[in-house]
Order: sequence, then structure tokens, then C-alpha cells
Amino acid sequence: MSADINQTITRIAEIIIDELKLEDVSPATFDPDLDLVDEVGIDSMDLATIALVIRDEFGIRIDEDDYPKLTTIRIIAEYVADKRSGGE
Amino acid sequence: MKTVSSLLDDHWYERYKRISKLNIRSSIYDVTDRCNLRCKGCFFFSSGEHQAAAEEKDITRWHAFVESEMARGVNLAILIGGEPTLCLDRIEAFYRRLPTFCATNGQIKVPRERFPDLMVGISLWGDAEDEKILRGKDTFRISSANYAGDPNAYYLYTITPKQLGKTETIIRKIKDVGLKVHVQLLSNDEGVDGFSWRPEELAAVREEMDAMLDCYPETMISSKYYHRIITTGEMGGRKFGWMECPSVTSALDRRESRPRRLTNFIRWASDLKTMHRCCTSETRACSTCKDGAAHMSWVMVNKRAHMNSTVDLQNWVEVYEMFAKLYRFIPW
Repeated sequence: MSADINQTITRIAEIIIDELKLEDVSPATFDPDLDLVDEVGIDSMDLATIALVIRDEFGIRIDEDDYPKLTTIRIIAEYVADKRSGGE
Repeated sequence: MKTVSSLLDDHWYERYKRISKLNIRSSIYDVTDRCNLRCKGCFFFSSGEHQAAAEEKDITRWHAFVESEMARGVNLAILIGGEPTLCLDRIEAFYRRLPTFCATNGQIKVPRERFPDLMVGISLWGDAEDEKILRGKDTFRISSANYAGDPNAYYLYTITPKQLGKTETIIRKIKDVGLKVHVQLLSNDEGVDGFSWRPEELAAVREEMDAMLDCYPETMISSKYYHRIITTGEMGGRKFGWMECPSVTSALDRRESRPRRLTNFIRWASDLKTMHRCCTSETRACSTCKDGAAHMSWVMVNKRAHMNSTVDLQNWVEVYEMFAKLYRFIPW
């Protein structure tokens, strides 16, 4: 489970770096607990873009109402894992 | 990687955090297709929007419509077009349910016993002389009597080229009646002679607006970066125009470049079915559009483009704060 989560964290970090064209950071150095809004400066449009890629990659749908609580890469990874295991 | 806290000191970081999660989702609603004034340059009439759709007269449909808008995620209703205060029951349909802003010419007073904290923006198009030319009367005399000292009202002062050198008189008058003021520039959609901006006038009005903000910081709700954006139409080397505008109705937005835009934004006509192209006139040339809200939104949706330097991000914070104050998401 832990290895799975770490893989998901790394992949989500890659997605965010690619989609937002972030510089000077790699999936390995991206702190998974960094607040994406308060620190990285992403907004709801960024999140919508990221959500589309995650949907395609992991086969899950991210409800727009859930955006506000998806504040870090780790939380997104746990959300993805939960959805994939059939949780709500 | 540049982070917000690496760019801002503690004071600015706290200001950033106060607004960063507001997640404002606005849409704009024509409340009626009628007005008690006929102003030269009002885009609603000059572009024929008053004839685009017959207004819905069944109030129960307005209530149901607002419910459906809330389900769509709207958390700020901006009421405009023609004159909303002609239809108070329709304003009430919004006001009862969600944060609501009402743009008005101020000739009819919103009854405060019915709408205690409705946000009211009173349009003003210059001094008495300009107002008589463009609007047929000096609206300030009546609107200032209606709203003097009202803590939930402010003036939307549309500066015209003829106002150069005179804005302080207006701003002082507004201050003297105990109100605040937000400034924007006339787009002159009807090409009234002498009311179109020349480059040197735009440079001069920017200086004048900056000076007024320095002199009247408690009265003016504005920022110098906003002044720069609306007078130059440029942001970070990009030019404002159709391919950059964030305030295009989402369902009608076919732009393949997918510019950053307001999420789920729609401008509705008063039949509650027809959608207008954008927040202002469909016939307006986007490259010369001076719409203040569109330019503010342009800055707001481009946050990460302002994460290059401390000054850039501070500018972004100031513009976002200005918008949040104008719609009372944060105090003045």
C-alpha cells in the first residue's frame, strides 16, 4: 500500500510539474505535503486541468466540489487511491 | 521552485492567504431589458442587447433559476442590465440566496429595510457636464442623496477623456457624501465625439488615478497595477483582447487556445435562457475594451504568471483584494 501511494505521489507530482510547467523542481524533490494553493499558487482552473489528466490516467473522476480539500499532492494521491478502491 | 512564501514576507503572505481560497465563482445577470435612463455609450442599448430577449416576468421562474445557478456553483451574482432596481422582486430572488451585487444608476433607492446589506454599485460617468451630455441628466445629485453614508454602496466612476484634471473634484464629492469609489474608463461604444481615448490621454489618466489613490486611500478602492493594466491593456507583455479575455460566457467559448478564464462564468439575458457572449457588449472591439471587471479578472486568473517576482505577486494580491472588497468577500 505504502509503495503504491508513493508511486501515485510521484506520478501526480509529474503531472503537476508537466501541466503547470513548473521549473526548478522534480518529482523527487517536490514536497508532497506542500500546500498547492498557499505555496505553489495553483487555482481552481489549474486543478481542473490536473483533474482531467488524473481522470485519464487513473480512471477516476474528481468531483469539482472536492477541489477545495485537495490541497497537497499526498492528499490527492490518497483521494485517488480511495476512489480506485471504490471508496467515497 | 518559486513558492508564494519565498516571494512574500509575512505581512504579504497573510494577505495572500486571506484571499487565496475564496474561490469566487461569479456570473452576470440582466435583470430587465428596461432602464430609466438612456445613456450614450451604454453597451446594453448600443449593442441591442435590450432586444436580444424578452424579459421573464414570472417571478417563480426567477427563484427557480437562481437555485439552478447555485447548483452550478455560482457564489456571486452580479446584477446589471437595463436598470435592476426597476424589478426589486427579481433582485430579491438572488439576494435571499447568495452574495449579490447590484449595479444601478442610483436614481431609485434600494429600500434598505428590504435589502439591508445588498452590495450596490452606483454608476457615475463624470462631472455634471459630462453626465448631461452622455446620460441626459446629472445623476449624482439624486444618487448621492439616495445613498449618502450607506456602508454597502459605492460609486463606479467611469472616467472619460474630458475628466482629465478634474477627477479630484468628483472623488472629493464622493468622499464628502461618505461613500467609496472604484474607477474605470469609458469604452465609448457609440463613438461620441471627444470621448474616445488617445494614447497620451491614457498615460495622463493613469498618472491622475495613481495620484488620487495616494491622496484618497480611504475613499478609492483601487490599485496602481490595475491602473496600469486598464490604461495600457498589457500584462506581462501580453495584450488584452478576445484571445485573452477571461470573461467570455463559458458555454459559448470556442477559443481553441483555451486562455485562462473565469470558471463556469455566464452572462445571462433577462429571459433566463439567452446567453450573451461576454461580460460586456458583443459589438465592442475587444482590443480597445476598457471594461474594468474584465481587466481585473484577467489579472486574477493569471496568478502564476505573477509568480516571477515579489513585486509581481504583490500586484496580483492587490488586484485580487480590490475585487474581493468590491464584492465584499473581505472588508473594505
